[in-house]
Amino acid sequence: MRTWLVLFVIVLLLAMLPLVGDNYLLRLATTVCMYAVLAQSWNFIGGLAGYPSFATAAFFGIGAYTSAIMQNYGAPIVLGWGSAGLVAMIFAAFIGGAILHLRGHYFAIASLVLAEMLREIINGMPDFAGGGKGLNLPILPISVTAQAQFFFYAMLGLALVCTATAIVIHRSKLGFSLRCIQQNEDAANILGLNTYAYKTAAFSLSAVFVGFAGAIYASWVSYIEPPDVFDVLISVKPMVMVLLGGLGTIFGPALGALILLAFEEVVWRNFLTLHAAALGLIIVVLILFLPNGVLSLWNDWLPRKKPAR
Amino acid sequence: MLAIRFTRISAAAFVALGSAILLGDGPAQAQDVLKVGAPLPLTGPLSPEGLKQKRGYDLWAEAANAKGGIKAGGKTYKVEIIYTDYASNTPRAVQSAERMITEDKVQFLFAPFGSGATKAASAISEKYRIPMLAPSASSQEIFDRGFKYIFSTLTGNETVSEPIAKLVAAKSKNIKRVAVLARNDLFPLAVAQEFEKAVKAQGMEVVTSERYTIGAMDHSAAVTKMRSANPDWVYASGYINDLILIRKQMNDLGLKAQVITMIAGPAYAEFANTVGPLAENITSMSWWHPAVRYKGADVFGSTEAFNAAYAKKYGGEADYIEAGSAACGAILQMAIEKAGTIEPTKVRDAIAATDADTFYGHARFNAGGQINALQPPVFQLVGGKPVLLWPDAIKTGELRLMPK
Amino acid sequence: MIYLQIAANGLVLGGLYACIAVGFSLVWGVLNVINILHGSFIVLGSYVALFAYSYLGIHPFISTVIAGAVLYALGYALQAGIINRVVMAPVLITLTLTFGLDLILNNAMLAAFTADYQAVNLAHPLGVVQLGPVFLPGDRLAAMVLALLLTMLLYRLLRDSRIGRAIVAVRMDRDAAALMGVEVPRINAITFAAGAFMAGAAGALLSIIFPISPLNGPLFLGKAFVVCVLGGLGSVPGAMLGGLVLGVVESFSSYWFGPEHAVTLSFALLLVLLFVRPSGLMGRRGYE
Repeated sequence: MRTWLVLFVIVLLLAMLPLVGDNYLLRLATTVCMYAVLAQSWNFIGGLAGYPSFATAAFFGIGAYTSAIMQNYGAPIVLGWGSAGLVAMIFAAFIGGAILHLRGHYFAIASLVLAEMLREIINGMPDFAGGGKGLNLPILPISVTAQAQFFFYAMLGLALVCTATAIVIHRSKLGFSLRCIQQNEDAANILGLNTYAYKTAAFSLSAVFVGFAGAIYASWVSYIEPPDVFDVLISVKPMVMVLLGGLGTIFGPALGALILLAFEEVVWRNFLTLHAAALGLIIVVLILFLPNGVLSLWNDWLPRKKPAR
Repeated sequence: MLAIRFTRISAAAFVALGSAILLGDGPAQAQDVLKVGAPLPLTGPLSPEGLKQKRGYDLWAEAANAKGGIKAGGKTYKVEIIYTDYASNTPRAVQSAERMITEDKVQFLFAPFGSGATKAASAISEKYRIPMLAPSASSQEIFDRGFKYIFSTLTGNETVSEPIAKLVAAKSKNIKRVAVLARNDLFPLAVAQEFEKAVKAQGMEVVTSERYTIGAMDHSAAVTKMRSANPDWVYASGYINDLILIRKQMNDLGLKAQVITMIAGPAYAEFANTVGPLAENITSMSWWHPAVRYKGADVFGSTEAFNAAYAKKYGGEADYIEAGSAACGAILQMAIEKAGTIEPTKVRDAIAATDADTFYGHARFNAGGQINALQPPVFQLVGGKPVLLWPDAIKTGELRLMPK
Repeated sequence: MIYLQIAANGLVLGGLYACIAVGFSLVWGVLNVINILHGSFIVLGSYVALFAYSYLGIHPFISTVIAGAVLYALGYALQAGIINRVVMAPVLITLTLTFGLDLILNNAMLAAFTADYQAVNLAHPLGVVQLGPVFLPGDRLAAMVLALLLTMLLYRLLRDSRIGRAIVAVRMDRDAAALMGVEVPRINAITFAAGAFMAGAAGALLSIIFPISPLNGPLFLGKAFVVCVLGGLGSVPGAMLGGLVLGVVESFSSYWFGPEHAVTLSFALLLVLLFVRPSGLMGRRGYE
């Protein structure tokens, strides 16, 4: 109950942001919500089930392109967005069946290859999907501020639904089973858990919200090209965020998203051409000194009773 | 307990985000500064080009400020260019553009590098009604969307394809078979398609037409295929690294042709230095060349004066990106002075109405915002140096064919 | 006839791919570390060769040793000083760590050397060898032969030297090796350094083939990934075979379907292989 309350308060506070912030702040907040969706989604497969998935960029790109192509063929924006998540989920369920029997590194590679392959496929379809020339999306006929607010609320809503799903999953039999798989998959199998089905469910869950996020993103920037939406960084960043926030926790991914964006923004503004190195340094320091995420720092900080598990 | 913990965390998170924003630049400065935002790829794959644009912008800002600044409506404005690095990542270029408009309060924008990023960022300049001048975007797709706030100092891709097709056709009747290898990317692909149209219009035949991916590390299969088609003319489009590799592999695999044309690398001095003897006789075109001679009403005054200013600051000669970037500033300055205000929408109208000579050539824009009064020169590398072949007014040599 | 040329292209390219991937495969197989730094290591090796050639006139083929030594030292320092601290952590942690280190190294190279593409233009290139209808570029061929020689040398070292046996022992069972008196942290550092040596040597060889820039790091890394999985992790002969297979597949698919689809097809091949034989062409099962 309290977790829900916290979620409610956070969302309420965020929802009031347009009252105080300018458009750029809204853009940052929209990005945080998007990052949070990516990180939270990755957490289903990477944090709970312990499968290091690099497929986030693939789902993101699928979502973006599904929506963009549909809108270019005249579909309304709602239909485009709606289909994006579903297509990404179906893709994940389908591909998951093929690659989830791989473990560890091999799964990581297979999932990494997905995005690379999709990027090249889209690149090679100039007529249907714009190819290397990219695709335009219709710009909404509303004012600049209204657009900023619209995309912010859309992304916030998605982050809310995604986090709510995470809360439900964490407490459900699915969440429990996924944790079992992470601890010892063979043992879980022997105990009669259908690990294959659970893993596929987690993989599909990690796709659906990312697909929606890709679609919203595409409308937001109004022009997409394959190297942008299938960028490998889209896969890597969620992992960094989850590591920052804390693996397998509920609010860790969202917190990690916020921290990563804050770092990026500070570093980017203050180091014109050395920002990549500065970000790298932060990552290295965090890994060496805070391997369990920022939440662990919080837990160590406050001496308190061990929560009953 | 749980709730308290999470609330504290979220409070901490808000502080983190807030401080991130506050650490940026302070409030808008005094009114006598003209702020131009320039998101550039200073790191990442496009950083060589990003640095070129920066050199051009800096040169203009220095020239304008050395003459006391820009005068408009009784005020004098000092030029300040605000840079960000978008690390060759297009979404970040878009984000930079919005940040510059809303946070840094820039009145004008210079576009990021290349057709793709310019196209993406122009959605922002259009939304906020901030004029954006682009020195490195030439693809039709940017200018046929009815946008009003995007202007480019490069003519369309067809203008860099037709002259060379005519030139080669006039030189020899035996050049009939053309092989094309294009990078699968907005500008290189578009320019190669225009080129194919242009050579077909001259009665030539395109015998192979291949595309390679961004980041391709090997062209041997494509080169072999081209060799087996026995072309008289080999055309390759891409960026400098692609073209260096393609030229080397053509040599490795014995692909020869009477004419080898590459775009858009040979216009940079680095190309001839890096490719070495293999650069000999490669033809290319650029939108501007230091050998052109124009007189103008802009801050530089003439091509000679621009070249001198460039040589003094950086040494050597400018290429079309550096000159075009400086021209963006010069054209913006002329428009502001004519409009007598720095109000972006009024300046936008003044830019659209520009019809004047500059050191860069004659500046006039079509309805889409593309400059349309330039004649992009065709040149050939001889002894590591460009020899101009076209237009006739500035030509310094004749097209040389290579033995097959 | 043309197929002979396409096959030759593919084999020469494949030899270079093998040389890109060997060090990466070694580190991954033994240390269980996906070394994102590998691409930047190769680029750094190329710069060493470039400077050695332009200032000292040393031929890049000789620089393989110099570049290898420089990278060996850097690799040893990184593993001993930083990566060893988390080497037992899950692969995700070490991956993120090397990702962060790579951001630093690549940015440092960008600041030091700029992104402008540079090249080693040999005063006396080996020219083109023509065998009937097949053209073979001399320098590429020589680089490939050297790369294969280096790889075989590494293979012999792993098999026959004391340290080599220790490395293999750590790969098979870290704890057992430690119990048998192997100093695991030192072997870790040597392994990582050996991987860096191979990267540096590869960089020196590639300096006469590809334009040199920090921007090439990710491209090399991507190829290393694919080759490594094709061949099987940690297997030196596997990396060679994987490289050659990838080179030939890319070459033929470029010819048949166009270069823009070659990458897609090689990825598809990879997925299929992962599906039917996850341990790679030459990998042994059980070393995940």
